[in-house]
Amino acid sequence: MFFRMIRGAFTRQWKKMLMIALTIALGASLATAMLGVMMDVGDKVNQELKTYGANITVVPKASSVIGNLYEVEGGESGETAYLREDELGKIKTIFWAFNIVDFSPFIDTEVTLPDGAGVKLVGTWFNHHLALPTGEELDTGVKNLRTWWSIEDGRWIDEGLDVYEPNCVMVGSVLAEREGLRVGDWLHVSAPYGENDLIVCGIFDSGDDADEQLYAPMDVVQALSDTDGYLTSIEVSALTTPDNELAERAAKDPSSLSIADYELWYCTAYVSSICYQLQEVITDSVASPVRQVADSEGAILEKTELLMVLITILSLIGSALGITNLVTASVMERSNELGLLKAIGAKDGAISALVLTEVILTGIVGAAIGYFAGLGFAQIIGHTVFGSSIAMKPLVLPVVAVLVLVVTLAGSVPAIRMLLKLRPAEVLHGR
Amino acid sequence: MSLLELNNISKIYGDLKALDNVSLSVDTGEWVAIMGPSGSGKSTMMNIIGCMDKPTSGAVLLDGKDISKESAKSLTAIRRDKIGLIFQQFHLVNYLTAVENVMVAQYYHSMPDEKEALEALERVGLADRAKHLPSQLSGGEQQRVCIARALINYPEIVLADEPTGNLDEANENIVLDIFKQLHKDGTTLVVVTHDPEVGEVAQRTITLEHGRIVKDALNANFKEA
Repeated sequence: MFFRMIRGAFTRQWKKMLMIALTIALGASLATAMLGVMMDVGDKVNQELKTYGANITVVPKASSVIGNLYEVEGGESGETAYLREDELGKIKTIFWAFNIVDFSPFIDTEVTLPDGAGVKLVGTWFNHHLALPTGEELDTGVKNLRTWWSIEDGRWIDEGLDVYEPNCVMVGSVLAEREGLRVGDWLHVSAPYGENDLIVCGIFDSGDDADEQLYAPMDVVQALSDTDGYLTSIEVSALTTPDNELAERAAKDPSSLSIADYELWYCTAYVSSICYQLQEVITDSVASPVRQVADSEGAILEKTELLMVLITILSLIGSALGITNLVTASVMERSNELGLLKAIGAKDGAISALVLTEVILTGIVGAAIGYFAGLGFAQIIGHTVFGSSIAMKPLVLPVVAVLVLVVTLAGSVPAIRMLLKLRPAEVLHGR
Repeated sequence: MSLLELNNISKIYGDLKALDNVSLSVDTGEWVAIMGPSGSGKSTMMNIIGCMDKPTSGAVLLDGKDISKESAKSLTAIRRDKIGLIFQQFHLVNYLTAVENVMVAQYYHSMPDEKEALEALERVGLADRAKHLPSQLSGGEQQRVCIARALINYPEIVLADEPTGNLDEANENIVLDIFKQLHKDGTTLVVVTHDPEVGEVAQRTITLEHGRIVKDALNANFKEA
């Protein structure tokens, strides 16, 4: 009989039920979309911010000490300490290896141009193919790290091309203009340990100091500076978790942490723990976060997540209010029917169960519609904002189900209170 | 033997005395008509007898038990187990068929039994309309469904509030014939009405005015069915 009544209520009041289902669907769709995006947004924002460059630099310990003492960046202090090129592959063997998106080594030397001008020649990887000790292979280099560089003329140096020219050089736009260099020109450079003729393959605009520098493959610069197998710094781009109090304490002194805190910190992708792990694999190195980038990542991520949470909460509150109005209106409209049921002996609990079952079944339909609509909304947001799909986490479904249940029940509370106060004599006889 | 006793019942709404120190007794198997003009307190009395309202003062004894101080939960149980209600507006659930409307009363009482509900409809001459919705039934048919619903759980007392108020003469006669048969079967009937013709067919007529009983008399013309 109970289900006959439920069925009857659905078939004869389908318009009301449809409105309730749509209200729930609206809330559920927004909640699904926001939660889906929120749970995936960390990776998305991190990937987005990777376009702003590396967030970790690794330098030799000696140059770091000098840099810290004189408050200058390593590499400009005249130090002669180096990192070892053969250890670069170890970067992809640390605990957070999969969070290392890109990295590139650097070595630089001062060279003299034919007109006597002194210029910094930087050696690096452009799109270096690396075979790792683990058997994994990857392409990494500044082409990925410095996505904001615009090639004004020519092309990026391509280390993978069969037609690769070992003496290719990329010239900063300011330097190219000052020296009158164009793609295809030959440039004679003299360095303390040799000289070489380089061909201009590309002219780039970086908007920073690099515009006055030359960029060439590692081995070219190592040959000119007699530093074969060595490098002066590594820039690393890693996906990180925003810092918290634990990360800040660990960054100051990891040894001050308790064992449990240490393990938690070590096994979380804080920028400080990734730096720590890089130092473990690169001999005599100091890895430090590029604070502006790392902090921006954390701040943007937190704000983005907060925004999503707020939208989710507001949409659910909106749904709850909508449900309250619709269910209350439905109970008011059905007051004669519900009063009659009370008059013929139905207990308050039995009538509440009847109304709640109707609302919850409607909620399930609305939640299902909303969930699938939300999956679509999430993909629209993903493609519109991040230019890629949102990977929906399995957790979204149960979380949305629980939220919809809570919102549906909370939205039904005023109607149930009204139902409990309903007196048969009042609705049946107007007393 | 008294099935129902009202002892000095008053019901006050603000400044209005809907019932003023009313006392009466209804015996088992008796057919009583409560009459009076609008505002005389008929429906208030019906609500109190039907356990849908409580008196401001006085005692209501049903089967010897004072129910005037019972909780809402207990009154619900008494309505379910002992009282059958018939309404002027029928109050059928509009999305349930005739037989389902009868079964609703069974469901909240004990266990729905479609066969028994169909038999109840057959007794009021509606077996062929069992699968119809209220909107597909005439007023008289709806009232007969309402009567079948009131009787399905074998109540000790049947309360009817203006049962013929919305019916034409033909349907009024059908309903009164059903009441006569119920009385013959020993059912206790309390019928609230302002229709003299309905009052006259009852065994006893009680007349209310301004919340007081002004007349309580047996009908000389009463005939057993």
